[in-house]
Amino acid sequence: MRHYEIVFLVHPDQSEQVPAMIERYQSQITGNGGTVHRLEDWGRRLLAYPINKIHKAHYVLMNIECDAETLKQLTDGFRFNDAVIRNLVVKMNEAVTEPSPLLKSKEEEDARDSQQSSRDDSSDKKQESTAEA
Amino acid sequence: MARYFKRKRYCRFTAEGVTQIDYKDINTLKNYVSESGKIVPSRISGTNARYQRQLSTAIKRARYLALIPYCDAH
Repeated sequence: MRHYEIVFLVHPDQSEQVPAMIERYQSQITGNGGTVHRLEDWGRRLLAYPINKIHKAHYVLMNIECDAETLKQLTDGFRFNDAVIRNLVVKMNEAVTEPSPLLKSKEEEDARDSQQSSRDDSSDKKQESTAEA
Repeated sequence: MARYFKRKRYCRFTAEGVTQIDYKDINTLKNYVSESGKIVPSRISGTNARYQRQLSTAIKRARYLALIPYCDAH
């Protein structure tokens, strides 16, 4: 049993299939005696450069522990699945369970966006108060 | 003659005691990539050799996943 980190990119048109795909991979891993340590769905992200004339893709990150046989099944699955644009498998030394920096920064951004509207109001007020002073 | 003041270079990864540079940490990686997308050499950034090697693999992985661009001509 080894630790692996897998990232795969799904075609944005097939985005609805992602939960089903994750479910399938998870059952595949656990069915063969492996474990899923971390599972992150980064959602649809803008690509830094277009791949096959696509500008957006759905990212999924998995940290898993499984044997070579299961990993081969997974990578073969990626290869023959047209919805998967790209995939990266990295060998890891240990299980990683804390959220990735990318997901963290995304959550912060979301929080900031939701605060934006309220902050706009407050900044207006501040300007008024300085004008008065 | 025109000797401008040069700040002392130091390796931020050594200072922070990073164990492994993460290819998913785009905000950190972006500091070590030039505007055109090239990896900044350690002689300029001051990164230690050990971390520079980790950094280059991390940047290359991030590029493959389209998290950061290969070049500015995309």
